[in-house]
Amino acid sequence: MSRYYRSRRQSGKIKILILSLLLVVGVGLGIKYYKPGDIVRKVSDESIVKSKPLNLPIKEIEAPKSKIKAYWFNDNTNPIISISFIFKNAGYAGEDLKKQGISKLVAALLVEGAGDFTADELKEELEMRAITIAFNSGKDDFEGELLTTKDNLDKAVYFLRLMLTEPKFEIDGVKRVKLQMLEALKRQKEQPANELRLIFAQELYGNHPYARNPLGKKEDIENISVGDLKSFVNNSFSKSNLVIGIAGDISESEARTLIDDVFGRLPDTGKINFVRKADIKFDGRLRRVERDSSQNIWLAALPSVDRKHADFYPLFVANYVWGGAGLTSKLSQNIRENEGLTYGIYSYQLLDDKAPLLMVSFSATKDNFDKAKKIWESETRKFNKNGISDKELQKAKDYLISSYNLRFASIVNIAKILSSMQKYNLGLDFLQKRNEYISNISIKEVNNVIKKYINPQNTVEAEIGKF
Amino acid sequence: MKLSKVFIYLLFLSVFAVSDVAAEGLFGAHEFYLKNGMRVIVAPNHRIPIIKHMVWYKTGSASENVGKGGIAHLLEHLMFRGTKKVTGNKINRYFEENGMESNAFTGHDMTAYHQLADISKLELAMFLEADRMQNLQIKEDDFLREREIVFEERKQRIDNNPIARFAEVLNRTLWQEHPYGRPVTGTDKEIISLTKEDAETFYNNFYAPNNAILILAGDIDVETAKILANKYYGNIERKEVPQIYQSELKSGFKANINIKDNEIETLRLVKVYVAPSFSKNNKDVYPLQILAKYMGGGKTSKLYKKLVVRDKKALSVAVNYNPIAQSYGSFQISLIPVDGIDGEELISAFEKAWQEALNELNTDEVENVKQKMLAGLVYLKDNPEDAAYVIGAMATAGVSLEEIESQEQKLKQIRKQQVAEAAKRLINDAPQVWGILYPAEVKK
Repeated sequence: MSRYYRSRRQSGKIKILILSLLLVVGVGLGIKYYKPGDIVRKVSDESIVKSKPLNLPIKEIEAPKSKIKAYWFNDNTNPIISISFIFKNAGYAGEDLKKQGISKLVAALLVEGAGDFTADELKEELEMRAITIAFNSGKDDFEGELLTTKDNLDKAVYFLRLMLTEPKFEIDGVKRVKLQMLEALKRQKEQPANELRLIFAQELYGNHPYARNPLGKKEDIENISVGDLKSFVNNSFSKSNLVIGIAGDISESEARTLIDDVFGRLPDTGKINFVRKADIKFDGRLRRVERDSSQNIWLAALPSVDRKHADFYPLFVANYVWGGAGLTSKLSQNIRENEGLTYGIYSYQLLDDKAPLLMVSFSATKDNFDKAKKIWESETRKFNKNGISDKELQKAKDYLISSYNLRFASIVNIAKILSSMQKYNLGLDFLQKRNEYISNISIKEVNNVIKKYINPQNTVEAEIGKF
Repeated sequence: MKLSKVFIYLLFLSVFAVSDVAAEGLFGAHEFYLKNGMRVIVAPNHRIPIIKHMVWYKTGSASENVGKGGIAHLLEHLMFRGTKKVTGNKINRYFEENGMESNAFTGHDMTAYHQLADISKLELAMFLEADRMQNLQIKEDDFLREREIVFEERKQRIDNNPIARFAEVLNRTLWQEHPYGRPVTGTDKEIISLTKEDAETFYNNFYAPNNAILILAGDIDVETAKILANKYYGNIERKEVPQIYQSELKSGFKANINIKDNEIETLRLVKVYVAPSFSKNNKDVYPLQILAKYMGGGKTSKLYKKLVVRDKKALSVAVNYNPIAQSYGSFQISLIPVDGIDGEELISAFEKAWQEALNELNTDEVENVKQKMLAGLVYLKDNPEDAAYVIGAMATAGVSLEEIESQEQKLKQIRKQQVAEAAKRLINDAPQVWGILYPAEVKK
């Protein structure tokens, strides 16, 4: 079963602030006297292609009948339209205890027949028109995505509505998809990295539902009935937990009508299990799994904050400098670039609703593995103690601001950004403000959060391999 | 890479020809050549002020000498380790401080370097890329570290992944003496034995503007692209690039291999054929794309309906055809059986289903498959990164821009008879291997 989107990038702002590097003037003509930095500045200064303002106007619209709201962005460059929608809190952590795997089953089965269309007919209709409709369930949410050409918009809307409100759950399809999921469960541990992830979740989350296997439980999958699937749909998909982003070649009035057509028939409210916050003790414990593999793999979680917390942006920058910035991060520079101990070491913020985390991981052959771990620890301790410099902060800001517009390369991505802006309550003007949020961060704020969150002793860790 | 969306071909490049293809085709791209022979393709897309800048060298691991496996890939890494002007690994810092996403990859036939950037950073990207095309300076200690890193990369991506290990054995069996049978990473022993001089020789032989293709996809017009391409790449000297001999494969080779793997939990079956490509026996390239889609492209395909839905013997089936190569292409069928069905039983069910599907092939079916393949082509115009990858991969394999742009028309012209004949040639004549990957012991 392939996973579909879960962007690690933060959604964010669009209007380009023309920041950064056009700073230094006065370099002479003789190139041989330049330091590399000077040449780079000279190229930038003399560039004939200049920054352009980018303004992606986002509007909140409301459907005339159902009054459901959505974010909408109009772009007529190509005759295509993408819709991204999220049913909040309908992901796998909220599944009934004895129905683990049901949300993934539903995600796979919604495209297997709806309304009067059998699975075969439905797939044929979609493929002939190059309409993509896909669903996925994550820890927190149940998500969906539609991509269509303008010509086929009416059909696409019709099929999506059928899938959400009249799924068929034909016996044959249910059996087939169950077998496919059970097989996926069986081969889940074939790669050491995957085995480690499963065991790590158990170690980290304990008896919190985040510890569950994302694919569910064998016995539960086998026992889930068509009635169960139908109740999951009725309980999980409602107007009250829905957010929608619409992007592409579609007018405002078309978009408003579309919302009624697709989502208007959903119930006002549903019934969703409450999932508590995870209580994780970052006590430095390490879970070790022996396995005969070519490399050892290591994973660690550190505490973090949610999207709306005051520490979020300072920590966002701190993570970038520490392990988030590709090859130039502190960890990468010291472990890969300077020592050649691993192909990669990365850290990232994991924004799960009930347990925001900072994650870091790498893999290496046994000898290198031990050395890399030592450096990880000493570098992180230094980082915790010393924080970052003004210059490092400025460079991080330069990157985060000037790379921001890269994420708007596709209509599908833009639709996803619109829905996640609503999920995280970032506000309609978020795209205009995001770069200001970044540029306003002070060195003091960053170094405070480094002290608070990035400490090599405050971790939960797991490793797999030969020790 | 998103090459599955791609098709096309033309055998002969008219080098140095200036051919601005009208902006009507799939991407609305234009091409021109610099005086030093560098080919430039521009695919304007003005929605967002960003650009994908890629330089593709028409050389990859297939050009390595025997025993020097992995040098093309190691050199790709060393290209981030400094030039006479931009020393150390500062290039990464410049990319990052300027908000660019930069990376590179190596294949059998190509090595590509690329950045996604705000349009205002394009010239800096071009400056840095042009600099390392001509001024690379490899230091011994950097070399040693980077050799260690690519060794770890091989461990991580191949040796710690049972499916990747299986694919390596399959390829070695199928391709035999042909360079496509050797792993792009090189083997452990090869990597460890590589020297700085090997890297320098490879660089000096193959890194030249006349062996490279520049792709610019995004917020740029052709006139500006011409000015900038000339400014940054136009003065780099051309070189004679060695022509690499790729061995011919004899038809009629058939093999079966069974691999047991301790880490494998469920049975997998793969059949791989050496197939025509845009460069070899190209008349079958479009018919085979249609065949692959008809047989195993998604859940409306014949094999899925027969083996998965009707017979309930397979859990999944996929058919993939890759015609984009400087030498032969490949055609691959992958199957996962239902628990309890053994390899032999699934193979015979597959052969029966394949034959039935061939018998059912008619004009309506072919038109239906073509419609499915063509309906989504407009999506390729959305993301400039998609355009850059598709155009770059095809151009590097020797496909003309005219052909890249007109694949829709080419596909439309294919008739049922051509598909049936291409299928017959593939099944009967092409070198082919059945591979079965199964658990070392029956568990539980």
